[in-house]
Amino acid sequence: MDAIRADSIVKDFGDVRALNGVSLGVESGELFFLLGGSGCGKTTLLRCIAGLEEPTSGQIFFDGEDVTALPTHKREAAMVFQSYALWPHMTVGQNIGFGLEERKVAKNEIAERVREVLEMVRMPGFESRGIDQMSGGQQQRVSLARALVVKPKCLLLDEPLSNLDALLRLEMRSEIRRIVKENGLTGVYVTHDQAEALSMADRLAVMDGGRVQQVGTPEQIYRNPRTAYVASFIGETNLLEAKVKNATDRQGVAVETDAGELIGRNTDDHWTPAPGEKVQVSIRPEAIRILPEGGQLEGRVVETMYLGESIQYRVRISQGVEMQVSEMNPRAVLEEGSRVGLEMQVEDVVVLRE
Amino acid sequence: MNSRKAIILTAVVTLFFAVFFLFPVIMVIGEAFVDRDGGLTLAYFSQVFVNPVYLEGLWNALLLGVTSTLATLLIAFPLALLTHRYRFPLKSPLSALILVPLVLPPFVGAVGVKQMLGVKGALNAFLEKLGLMDPAAPMDWLGEGRFWGIVVMNALHLYPILYMNIAASLAHLDPAMEEAAQNLGCSPWRRLRRITMPLTMPGIFAGGAIVFIWSFTELGVPLVFDYSRVAPVQIFDGLKDLESNPFPYALVAVMLIISSAVFLLSKALLGRSRLGTAPRPKGRNVERVLKGWKGWAITLVFAGVFLLASLPHMGVILLSSATDWYGSVFPEQLTGAHYEEALGHPLVVPSIQNSLLYASGAMVVDLVLGLAIAWVIVRSTIRGRALLDALVMLPLAVPGLVLAFGYLALAQEGRAFSFLVGVNGNPAALLIIAYAVRRLPYVVRAAVAGLQQSNVTLEEAALSLGAPPLRMMKRIALPLLSANLLAGGILAFAFAMLEVSDSLILAQQAEHFPITKAIYALLNTLGNGYELASALGVWAMVFLGISIVGAVSLAGKRGGLFRM
Repeated sequence: MDAIRADSIVKDFGDVRALNGVSLGVESGELFFLLGGSGCGKTTLLRCIAGLEEPTSGQIFFDGEDVTALPTHKREAAMVFQSYALWPHMTVGQNIGFGLEERKVAKNEIAERVREVLEMVRMPGFESRGIDQMSGGQQQRVSLARALVVKPKCLLLDEPLSNLDALLRLEMRSEIRRIVKENGLTGVYVTHDQAEALSMADRLAVMDGGRVQQVGTPEQIYRNPRTAYVASFIGETNLLEAKVKNATDRQGVAVETDAGELIGRNTDDHWTPAPGEKVQVSIRPEAIRILPEGGQLEGRVVETMYLGESIQYRVRISQGVEMQVSEMNPRAVLEEGSRVGLEMQVEDVVVLRE
Repeated sequence: MNSRKAIILTAVVTLFFAVFFLFPVIMVIGEAFVDRDGGLTLAYFSQVFVNPVYLEGLWNALLLGVTSTLATLLIAFPLALLTHRYRFPLKSPLSALILVPLVLPPFVGAVGVKQMLGVKGALNAFLEKLGLMDPAAPMDWLGEGRFWGIVVMNALHLYPILYMNIAASLAHLDPAMEEAAQNLGCSPWRRLRRITMPLTMPGIFAGGAIVFIWSFTELGVPLVFDYSRVAPVQIFDGLKDLESNPFPYALVAVMLIISSAVFLLSKALLGRSRLGTAPRPKGRNVERVLKGWKGWAITLVFAGVFLLASLPHMGVILLSSATDWYGSVFPEQLTGAHYEEALGHPLVVPSIQNSLLYASGAMVVDLVLGLAIAWVIVRSTIRGRALLDALVMLPLAVPGLVLAFGYLALAQEGRAFSFLVGVNGNPAALLIIAYAVRRLPYVVRAAVAGLQQSNVTLEEAALSLGAPPLRMMKRIALPLLSANLLAGGILAFAFAMLEVSDSLILAQQAEHFPITKAIYALLNTLGNGYELASALGVWAMVFLGISIVGAVSLAGKRGGLFRM
């Protein structure tokens, strides 16, 4: 049974439909990510799970129990806010102890648990600090500690790292994952940062336009995107327009692009491409090998970007089609203007339904 | 917030408002158009415009409103501009100090002015001493210039309202707009006229409308100055024979229509300009530090305005402690006897008790209602909350006189509000509600400002950690709002303490008089009534001073309270 289930959630704000029939399940003990661009509905979905928004229609289940009508404070779903939402009129210790006081925990046990959780977030002895006496990273940890200390049924995190600088963000990624896993918590984590999602999630849902586009493990999503949106939102990719030539080729689906003929594979079990059907083809830049000549496609290097561990080339294929290619561990840099061939494996060429 | 709760709250508040605000106001208008037999008539209404006495009264009231507003603007705009542009010595204490006159009761101050400007007053004595005036033919300043006396009193009392509105507008102004004009070669004066003034219009309109309505319907100062040819005083005098003379109703209706028109006009102009909603520029300080005599000159201007505005009240203090102040610049001798005597007077101590009771009752009502309304406006998403927002601001447009009149009529035997009148005609409940309704906008604005400043996630965090809504209110929302609520509440309290119209009209028996009515009654007593009235006035100012200093130091942000 799923720890959290959303069933056909629709949420309207006036005339705007923020969620358009979202269904998904989060397993117990799983760190589940909601990923998408701004306005995709991910935060609204999280707030519906928290009980801070009431769905226009649809239901939310915790452990199989319908909690749609249950008010926030009875849900045992502690939330970590993007702005941290630490109460300025209370100390660190009072902030963290708040939820325990509401649960009528004895005073000395509260002190003990506050001390423990501060240790867990690596801020021992901070109990009597004021909120404005801490850096952003410390506030972030306190806000995490405040949610953790009540041992919630699920931990909800709304872009918790977006206000931190880049280095701290990297550090906190593994930190949050460690804490969630150590405590055996079920977590739902909202972010627009695909690197955050890929590196931290057990599974993730990519959302767009108030709908779930695809649910899966980071690897499944990255390797087998089912739509052009998912392919381009997660990681970088080259999208080419194409027409199906032969859907039942022995090796895969043969398509005709403006650049030439390619053979790729279909990731969608519910779809069989028909000859003549318009499709898109997605090829990751790192899946393409750049050769002096040969390969399926030919072109000319128009831009070179040297990044140390890799080089990114922009290669113009015939008829104005351009592709990004990255070469890892480059030994030499190709000059702009040189003619090259591009080679790719069938399993790296993904044919997507239009 | 849960929309069902929001709807219930809105319904309760709207009901309260409909019963205690809309109903009496509509009733007053109705009386003006209904004749003795219950038929509709325009006779009373049109009579107002034919009868030369009423016409003159209305005209004078309008003139008072317009000139007072202009005079107020003349004081407020330069002050606001100076404080926006420059940093000068003693700026922060002075910026707080020049707001104080708003809570010095003009009604009390007028008593002091009368003492100073009378035939045998301090000014004449001073001029005679200098040999500039013939003692045999003294000038009767208030006899000749009562009108202007009232204008000056109004302007010196009300300029803080306009000042705060303009200052807030200027603070919202993106400094880049002025810099752009400068950069394109605009001289300082042209910049003021072409850029700064137009962009501060929202503040000027918002504050100006309140100032106009306030001075248009001012009752206290004209009463003290014996200026009877002005509509509010005519209405007050008409109360005595209301049964036989329905014209006060018609006069009240006309005043209401004019006030509402001005209010709506300012709202419409404000809405169209869209300047009021411009986002605040981020933390850029455009203040220039003025050193040397230039800085001190501005300091002097601010101190001068404050001194001028508090001069009447200093007169009151002198009068209250003078053995004899007649035909001399300063009192002959100072004494504490009046205070002692005042405390023994049957009117004084009860009136202080009454006022404290009425004003704190009104404050409590305002705090509860104001918080509920602000909550719905800021935190709920129900339809019609903008309407609620507009509705609770309406008391600003309705003169106190109108409401007092409606309450008086409805409190008669057998009418809707007669249940509110206590034993022996005790008007406590009536006055508390009347005070509360008219001060509600200030408390709502204060609470709205507080809620908007405090991030909603702070409340959501408490809910998500398991605090039920009421506990969340108590532990998170209210502590975070406390400064704003306290400031709004104390302001409501202060205004209730020095309220004139409701107090004069609704309190009928001496033992129920609030301070203002007691002062009015003392002024009409022979003997040392003036000195006793002054002593009571000083007591009132002491109470007010304490509450206001508290409010100002708590409010932190100026301007929020008087914005429409």
